Amino acid sequence: MNLESLIQAKLDGEITPEQHAELETLLRGNGRARRLYLELADQHARLLQQPPPLESTTQQTSGTSRTVRWRTAALVASAAAIVLLVFALRPYHAASREATSYGAAMLSQTLDAEFAQPTIRSGDTLAPGTLTLHKGVVQIEFFSGATALIEGSAQIEIISAWEARCISGRVRVHVPPAAKGFLMHAPGVKLEDLGTEFALNVAGQDSAVHVFDGEVIAHAKDKAPASLKAGMSLNSTKTAVSPADFLPIRELQTLIRQREKNRFEQWQQRSAGAGEDTRLIAYYPFKHWEDDNWDRMVNNLAQPVVYSRNGGAVGARWTQGRWPGKEALEFKRPGDRVRMNLDGTYAALTLACWVKVDSVDKKYNSLLLTDGYESGEPHWQIYEDGSLMFSIGYAAPGEKRITFKTNQTYYSQPVFTPDSLGRWHHLAVTYDNASGTVLQYFDGREVGREVSVLHQPGRPVVFGPCELGNWGLPTQGHRFPIRTLNGAIDEFAIYQSVLSPAELQTMFEQGKP
Amino acid sequence: MSPEPASRTEQLVLLLTQNQEPLFRYIFSLVPCEADARDILQETSLALYRKFDHYDPSRPFLPWAYRFAYLQVQKHREKSARSPLLFGAELIHLLALEREQIETELNQRLQFLDHCLRKLTQQDKELVTSRYAMRESVEDMMRRFAMSRRTLFRNLELLRQRLHDCVTRQIQSEVLS
Repeated sequence: MNLESLIQAKLDGEITPEQHAELETLLRGNGRARRLYLELADQHARLLQQPPPLESTTQQTSGTSRTVRWRTAALVASAAAIVLLVFALRPYHAASREATSYGAAMLSQTLDAEFAQPTIRSGDTLAPGTLTLHKGVVQIEFFSGATALIEGSAQIEIISAWEARCISGRVRVHVPPAAKGFLMHAPGVKLEDLGTEFALNVAGQDSAVHVFDGEVIAHAKDKAPASLKAGMSLNSTKTAVSPADFLPIRELQTLIRQREKNRFEQWQQRSAGAGEDTRLIAYYPFKHWEDDNWDRMVNNLAQPVVYSRNGGAVGARWTQGRWPGKEALEFKRPGDRVRMNLDGTYAALTLACWVKVDSVDKKYNSLLLTDGYESGEPHWQIYEDGSLMFSIGYAAPGEKRITFKTNQTYYSQPVFTPDSLGRWHHLAVTYDNASGTVLQYFDGREVGREVSVLHQPGRPVVFGPCELGNWGLPTQGHRFPIRTLNGAIDEFAIYQSVLSPAELQTMFEQGKP
Repeated sequence: MSPEPASRTEQLVLLLTQNQEPLFRYIFSLVPCEADARDILQETSLALYRKFDHYDPSRPFLPWAYRFAYLQVQKHREKSARSPLLFGAELIHLLALEREQIETELNQRLQFLDHCLRKLTQQDKELVTSRYAMRESVEDMMRRFAMSRRTLFRNLELLRQRLHDCVTRQIQSEVLS
């Protein structure tokens, strides 16, 4: 960080102890630095004391109560005013809070599922509320340990980790010893599970129960609690239940595996065609070749194949990608990376990849970085707040290096939150050197759009030696900053044009697991 | 009862009211953390109240008040000496000394600041309003402007940098023309 940025970070209270020490050294050693600091601090203090009047266009919502009115306090002309001054302005502090998530269960598996809420995806944390399944089969794992297999159409209300209600449809529940006491409500009956497996069928206002294993206490309206043991059923006059009506869990798993296999096969077909796109600079589908004895090739399959653009894995290990059988490279250790060398000069770019981020645990978490950071070289990373960060810079005329003043950095909204970690996501960024617009995408959806004030049209984009998942070859004897991605990549495409929002949306839809 | 003490108090309240803003700016330049600077300003106000008998009304108030403020800054430093986010005593001394030397210029800069604030873009104006006038929390601002924390602070940084550059240009053109 340069002096100005350090000063500003200090004024905003966003400075780290290391940066503070650096600032102190700079200020102590240099009168001009102190002068700049005094001017910026004075300007900041003035704005804090006498902010410009509220703009009429700005809605004034939550801020009014906190607006400080010095003058009013000071008008009280008595000794009490001094005491008032002491208490008039209590600063407010945003307490640092522990990260929280809100939920009672997890949607662990889905098969051809269609929900009333279209945003729901497999892997989502489910908060208390009603889940409406139009079709398909889903598996819900309650945080208590109970598991429910639901066949559409069905409506289930999740009350807590220990309690749910079947409003309609067929549900099969498995309760391990740790979740003993799990309650399932249904019209006219409340089922208390004593560690077992049972099925429930609800149609209209009628419920029928069958116990596969263990024991369930059925609390029916106006009746004494009844114990239902393995093999027993509780049928109503209108609704009956038979074990054959319910999908066994093993069958669901078979179906899910079959679906994954189909998705993977479809992807393989599309992937073979995707390499023929003439806009590609390089395309890495992360196919692990059986005959690669060294195990380190990350092949570029953009047609016609430019051999020099093949990548080489360093450290990173092969692991499972989006589907069983699909390979990915996992980046964990500080040395893990995929090395590449991309020649050529371009007017635009699109970077698109499938990545599973396990944790955003460093200040910068690499996606694709060129070795140095010279004029026209793109850097694409995940910033510590979970946003996507794309940057490109051009050194000022006569200067060799890109500085704070010539660096163009673009941040998306934060996209990596505890709920999106550990799952496969599609990331993309586009940039063209005519308009200077940088667009960033997360799962096919735009999450950032910006043009830098520093943009000047027509300046070229270059790559050269670069890598995925890490940054830079350390020069001999030097320490290097750790920017390893904590996660896995299973597809990476680099284009020399801007792909349209529709194309990126399709890429996400067709490639999602 | 003599009317003297009451009128002395009134006199101090008047002086404090008139000089609160420059006094805060002085303290803030030595302890650039708003909450701490406010606490120190309040401690300084009390110290001035206690020592007001020694004040010679024929002399300017601010330089006299700065001495108390400086002492309170030192006290604050000693109290929280372990904090890694405080300037060292030596640097504070240098800053206090140099600030008094350039105070006229700093005041002059602020006269141009209002002009430069009016020239800001609409989005920058809204940023200034929400940060300084409405005092919105960082979280509220992130939501309102749909920016990440990093982008928000970066935008604020660039905005203040532009203001500073604008003021500098104004002063230079004033001097040149």
